[in-house]
Amino acid sequence: MLKYILKRILTFIPMLLAISLISFIISIAAPGDPVERMTKSDQEGGADASAGSNAEEKERVRKQLGLHLPIFYFSVSNYAIPDTLYKIDKKERENIEGLIHQFGNWKAIEKYYKSLKKGLSEHYEMKPQDLLLDDSLSEETIRSEWNNIAAALTSLLQESNVDIVSQNYKVIESTLNNNHFSHLSNVFREIKNNKLYMENNSERWKLYVPDIKFYGADNQYHVWIFGNGRDRHGIIRGDFGRSYNDKQEIKDKIWERIGISFLLSILSIFIAYLISIPIGIYSAYKKDSFADRGMSLLLFILYSLPSFFIGTLLLLWFANTENFYWFPESGIENAVTVDPNWKWWEWEAIKHRAPYLVLPLFTYTYGSFAFLSRIMRIGMIDVIAQDYIRTARAKGLSENKVILKHALRNSLLPIITVFAAVFPMAVGGSVIIEVIFSIPGMGSEIFIAITNQDYPMIISFFTLAGLLTMIGYLVSDILYALVDPRISYK
Amino acid sequence: MTLIILSILSIIILFLSLRKDGIILKKKKGENQGFSFSKYAWSQFKKNKIALISLYVLALMVIVAIFAPQIANDKPLYAVYKGKTIYPALHDLPFGKGEAKYEISEEEIIEFNNMTSFDWRTLKYESVIWPLITYSPKTQDPYNRDYKSPNSSQKYMDHNGKETESPFKFRHHLGTDLLGRDLASGLIHGTRTALKVGIISMGIASLFGILLGALAGFFGDRRLKMKRSKYYFSFLGIFLGLFYAWRPYEITMGLNKGINSGLLEMSISLLILISIFISLRILSKKLPGKFFNKEISVPVDSFVSRGIELLNSIPRILLIITVTAVQKEPSLNVVMVIIGLTSWTGIARFTRAELLRIRNLEYISASNALGFSSIRTIFKHALPNALAPVFVSIAFGIASAILIESSLSFLGIGVPADEVTWGGLLNLGRLYHEAWWLIIYPGIAIFITITVYNMIAEAARDALDPKLKS
Repeated sequence: MLKYILKRILTFIPMLLAISLISFIISIAAPGDPVERMTKSDQEGGADASAGSNAEEKERVRKQLGLHLPIFYFSVSNYAIPDTLYKIDKKERENIEGLIHQFGNWKAIEKYYKSLKKGLSEHYEMKPQDLLLDDSLSEETIRSEWNNIAAALTSLLQESNVDIVSQNYKVIESTLNNNHFSHLSNVFREIKNNKLYMENNSERWKLYVPDIKFYGADNQYHVWIFGNGRDRHGIIRGDFGRSYNDKQEIKDKIWERIGISFLLSILSIFIAYLISIPIGIYSAYKKDSFADRGMSLLLFILYSLPSFFIGTLLLLWFANTENFYWFPESGIENAVTVDPNWKWWEWEAIKHRAPYLVLPLFTYTYGSFAFLSRIMRIGMIDVIAQDYIRTARAKGLSENKVILKHALRNSLLPIITVFAAVFPMAVGGSVIIEVIFSIPGMGSEIFIAITNQDYPMIISFFTLAGLLTMIGYLVSDILYALVDPRISYK
Repeated sequence: MTLIILSILSIIILFLSLRKDGIILKKKKGENQGFSFSKYAWSQFKKNKIALISLYVLALMVIVAIFAPQIANDKPLYAVYKGKTIYPALHDLPFGKGEAKYEISEEEIIEFNNMTSFDWRTLKYESVIWPLITYSPKTQDPYNRDYKSPNSSQKYMDHNGKETESPFKFRHHLGTDLLGRDLASGLIHGTRTALKVGIISMGIASLFGILLGALAGFFGDRRLKMKRSKYYFSFLGIFLGLFYAWRPYEITMGLNKGINSGLLEMSISLLILISIFISLRILSKKLPGKFFNKEISVPVDSFVSRGIELLNSIPRILLIITVTAVQKEPSLNVVMVIIGLTSWTGIARFTRAELLRIRNLEYISASNALGFSSIRTIFKHALPNALAPVFVSIAFGIASAILIESSLSFLGIGVPADEVTWGGLLNLGRLYHEAWWLIIYPGIAIFITITVYNMIAEAARDALDPKLKS
């Protein structure tokens, strides 16, 4: 028994690792550059932030997010890709990777890349107002040409498309012809030479040699899980990072929202069990009677009705001033009449919030209650057909005793396993129901995060829900083993 | 491309399973009229009237889905216009590509494709046959904007250029939405999406589920024996094959040039993968020494079972939502593939359990004794016997796939906004509660589809359950 539980907990750990790996892979695959997302709203604050300080700011955010670290403990790639490639910014890295796949000669590519960087920084050092030495050209022309060169150089760093690259070179060359930008001519010559060298000395064979590189514990995944001992604490200590949207700690946001979602799912599971067990017993006991058939059909229909349809219908009928305005249509409390000093267990607070919860709870419950009743009925029918029930009847026990004492216990077994299946249903289904009834819980938060492409939030939610689901499975398996002594782990 | 192949494969599998279960009864003349399980199951199935009706409803829905553009279209099916006979609606799928050009006279040329909107009602025809619903799902009717209810007064532009009350055939029988799009037409075209999602995603799922479940169940942890060199070289082959076949740069360059060169690069990759795998296999046979030539058993069952456990412990809807949220552009294909890749576990479990039972039967021993290869025994002898419960699980799976897709399109996640789906139509009704028709009708459509599949699955389970046989 104890051995079974221990073994079950041991298999729990690799599953956790797998979940964390899956969510980490999804977070890496998320489109867009996190650094850009985090610096975007800062830029809007100071519109005239110059490009140079912007780059520094980006570097700072990259460090803060831990993106300057390698991704994983090791990487499998080819011999041409250097082991320090992760240090380069995401957008530029994609371009560099393209160049490596084309030429395979990292030394030359690095030289080319560095000369481009040097050109850009030299260009940024020379401000357009310093270039107004003679009056042959207006300030605006100079300014626009300066901008053109900056844009072309930045694009050269980020674009691998051949047409765009040659277009950029044309822009720079044509602008350099008028003498204002003479400071760039040396660097530009260097860039061109480096490019030529890179193209003529390709070492593509390096691309075909597999190479495994080890980075050690100082990597993004490790920091994400365990923290780095300084500013990041890792998800095992509850640090999920910050949201893209409002830069708040995700931990705090989740704590704010989790209560109402948890309350809803617990209440609905409780109600579902409360209704479905008697129904299941009754219809199994009166198998093939009119009541059983009618009940089965009703449950079947309920089971097939999508919850978003029922939710919207309920809103249409019972929370609509044109039909029946019995329940409030959204939220969990009235902002005007609610008293912030109420504790949630006080009678007044419960009385205030109860009407708001009726429709969501109904929508939440009916599906799982139909599902549970069907399972209960099938389990009960199986048990009633067993020999020991016949023995109990033959002993002369009353029907009540036979059904409620002998049969019920064993028929509860499948329902316990279902407990684990109800749990993900509660987490996943809550998104739809919370969105329909505008309940400020985890579900509507994840919906907002998805519409805003707030990836850290989505990933955190996914990880947390996976964890909760696995705990649900663990608990139900252990419960099952406790209730049924025949179970053993083999 | 791969999607099409997969879907065709899945349909074939589904059809085979249907035939074997006797769901589709094939009458052969002169066939021995003896007792067979499939006939028995079919007769059991026929006793369930509701299930039989469900089967007819499903068949009707398939027909509606295939001929949706001819049932609901804003172009006439047949018309005689200025002495010329034209068939505009027949240029849409499944007969054509939705483009055509009619030269009526020197100065009047009617040219249309999927992008242009042209009001065919304004023409004066000598004789005309309109489709059942005279609107396309995306056509925005300028005269009936702002949620026209099914029984309110509706207007249309007649051939004199006058705005008049719509006659019965031009009415929006189920109402319109904010932009004046016809709901009935949307429902009919949405049937396509719903059925497509169900069949393709479950096709992918059954491909994975049946294959992995069959291998796991038949071989277990001990029965698949191979030489150690072959076993290790297979892993090496997978690693090296993926390493050399993974050419993202070449493939994107190819795709930039055009779809054909992209496909060429992809097939080169596939060729590299296969040739590396095969050459390593050949190499593994030549290895000398006792160590390499020792027979060891491959734990197939453990691999598959752990995979199933892992996938089951991830909340499925949340995984789908997360993955669809992470992709750059919403696409129905991606949604279908993800649903398929996450829902094979149930099918695999059923197949595995069935094969665990079947592999101990005498006729499998006989097939082994006759010297048939394992592959032949599995796919020709064991698997057809196991497909009955798997079919039930597939039918339930289709219902839940349709439910997931409609939930996603209801939330507006993952499914592109211009795709006509029932869930998307229902979502329009949520925004404006007075438009009850936008809530009730799509909801009923989803409900009926899910119920039909569930009913068929339920009845098939009852019909195929040997316990009930007496």
